Amino acid sequence: MTFDRDRHTPFEELISASLHGDLTADERNRLDAHLDTCATCRATLAAFSDQRRIMSGLRHMPVPRDIGARVRAGIEQEQSARPWWKRPPAIFAGVGGGLAVVAGALLAIVLLNNNPNDRDVGQASPTPSLPAASVSATAVPTLAPLSTPAPTQPPASVAPSISAEPAPTATPVEASPEPDGYLAVTGPPDNQVMTVTDAATREPLAEAPAAVPIAAELSPDGQWVAYIVDVGTGSGFTEIRATRITEGLSSDESGAPTPIDSPVAVGETITLAESVGGTPFVEHLFWSSDSQYLAFTAVSRDGGGTDVWIFEPSRGTASRATDTGTAYAGSWVPGDTETSLLWISTAGETPDSYLRMFHDDAGAIGVADPEDSEFPAAINVFQPILSPNGALVIYWTGGMDRSEGELEWTFSAQGGPWLAVNEQAGERGYEFVDSRQLFSDVFLDREAFTSAAIRWSPDSDAFAVWGAAWEGIPQGSETLYPDPARIYLGRATRSGHITIDTALDVGDLPPDATVVDVKIAGTGRHLAITARHPLGGTLSVPEADLLLVTRNLGKLADEVDSLAPNDGRWYGPAFYSETDWAELIGD
Amino acid sequence: MAVPGRASWVQPAVTGRAEEDQEARFARLFEEFSAPIYNYVLRMVSDADRAADITQDTFIKAYRKLDTVTDAAATRSWLYRIATNTAIDDMRRRRMVSPMRDDEPVFANRPDPRPGPEAEVMAGTLDERIQRALMTLRPNHRQCLLLSDLEDMSAMQIGEVMGLSYAAVRTLLCRARGEMRRALAAEGLAR
Repeated sequence: MTFDRDRHTPFEELISASLHGDLTADERNRLDAHLDTCATCRATLAAFSDQRRIMSGLRHMPVPRDIGARVRAGIEQEQSARPWWKRPPAIFAGVGGGLAVVAGALLAIVLLNNNPNDRDVGQASPTPSLPAASVSATAVPTLAPLSTPAPTQPPASVAPSISAEPAPTATPVEASPEPDGYLAVTGPPDNQVMTVTDAATREPLAEAPAAVPIAAELSPDGQWVAYIVDVGTGSGFTEIRATRITEGLSSDESGAPTPIDSPVAVGETITLAESVGGTPFVEHLFWSSDSQYLAFTAVSRDGGGTDVWIFEPSRGTASRATDTGTAYAGSWVPGDTETSLLWISTAGETPDSYLRMFHDDAGAIGVADPEDSEFPAAINVFQPILSPNGALVIYWTGGMDRSEGELEWTFSAQGGPWLAVNEQAGERGYEFVDSRQLFSDVFLDREAFTSAAIRWSPDSDAFAVWGAAWEGIPQGSETLYPDPARIYLGRATRSGHITIDTALDVGDLPPDATVVDVKIAGTGRHLAITARHPLGGTLSVPEADLLLVTRNLGKLADEVDSLAPNDGRWYGPAFYSETDWAELIGD
Repeated sequence: MAVPGRASWVQPAVTGRAEEDQEARFARLFEEFSAPIYNYVLRMVSDADRAADITQDTFIKAYRKLDTVTDAAATRSWLYRIATNTAIDDMRRRRMVSPMRDDEPVFANRPDPRPGPEAEVMAGTLDERIQRALMTLRPNHRQCLLLSDLEDMSAMQIGEVMGLSYAAVRTLLCRARGEMRRALAAEGLAR
């Protein structure tokens, strides 16, 4: 028996291999000769051939239909955890090619250069007036706290040990696609009322004097909705207002901060400042991450230019923080300590930006020259907008211009938005490194984006740009590009830039509609868009749809739903809550 | 045109040229191989949900390493190697396999040959019986048999997937066929 098996085994291997034609001529001859004389091996050949036929007849099972989506989700999830500069080189060759040169060159420009009046690199640096302990970075765990190096240490040797990696994205899994609330202007034309509305129930949370809201931001603690309204059709006048809608979440064992008390009662609306509508640069509201402050830009109605104002909910008042007439609010540096850092930009032929420190217990906010900052200036940087986790930044750079009679500055030659990593740099404040042009396929030479509206998603990854005013020759061959009517989406961790291909589908918005406001959900792919319809006549009321667009990639069309009644009234802007909305509003 | 049974790949809106190339290459890879890989893995683990998970992981790993494969001819073997290793890892986690040495008794650590819930996805009596027979094989025997007879790979290609020499594959394949012959006979499917 053993003898027989050993005798057949070598030929079994040849039989097995013959099924695939994996035999040499010599092996073929040997096998054929053996088969002529061996019934056992002929039976084996027949059995193996049958087996192969049976196996090849196995049913082909259909692939689960969602496998593509699952793979894509897995890839995106993995990528979202990786900063773009650590992505595989092959994927980023397009970014790292031509742009790398530009980015590298720009890096030298956008680093927070020393104030001309300040020390040179390598010279002794004055210690910032604030102790380091007062500025911690608990909200941005990947960024080291500001350090206050000894004055004798050269900057190069005192660079803090930092990690440039963005903090993990903000709960993308739990993020809701739908906004939590929105502003609405409803009622008959002669008796309209504005409400802050719960998006889920469409029930009003608070009422306010009617006006057309064009921007809105919910405070991180959920107590306040700050918004900008057009106060008269055609006048161009706007107001910045705030309505207190809740008392915030009460402190509990989990260590939640005590809600900020305010003299303003829930349901009350206060006007923070009067302004004039204009570019997106003045229609942006910035809450500090601890909800202590709201920063905004107001345009003087008597030609006094633009200045930064700060609203303090704890006082229930807003104060002018600058009086240069060229100042614009940028975003706050995320953090939840007793000290808050705000970017303030000054417009001019070239812009600069400065960090100003606010202390929660320092009394009323007063006017100060932005240049009197204890931090070096960010030369040729305008309105930096940090991602919610503080790891990334979108800012403007380039030449600026202001025509005679114009109240506002806009960008001219080589002006445009850029995306960078926000790195802490000791006494130099922050550095914007790895800069890249936000619109990677638009060549900025003599041409420029004069302005555009920009918003981050709460996930600190996705961002949207709309109202992109491009003064140069259109760059698209078949479609207008950059198109001020389109919304462009980008992801910092995917490609880190926008191109003609990243525009939202044309069909997502009603024909002739104008984008007023865009909010991105924490999912990174759902957008709450306020789309204004053209006025139907002098007696008609302003009308806007509030749309929820689910962004689909590739050739798959986006999904569009209406978030509010389609009754010819004004709905939007929307806002997303960072806290438990149901608990917040007492549902 | 959509191919029945194939999963469709929604290509993301990409930007740079290199990224575009990368995405397009991955899209082609996915379109071509998602169904074969899924079926190969399904026959390996005999569980539709696990097969979907392993297929998903396989393509995510492939996406991550796509730039390391420059030889188009080797792409298929490379992808099957990822799938095979991912499936083995999965089976190890589930204690379905012990170290795969050929000198071990065939039935040591053998999975329960009785049809389980997975039989539900293996509709059809013939399919069930073949699958039952397959599941009695040692995993490495099952792999090489599937690669040979289901995926129609040559011994050389199987060697690339399994990391074995040409000669080792021929030996392994022969043993797998002998083992499968007995298993099919037990199911009344072989002479």
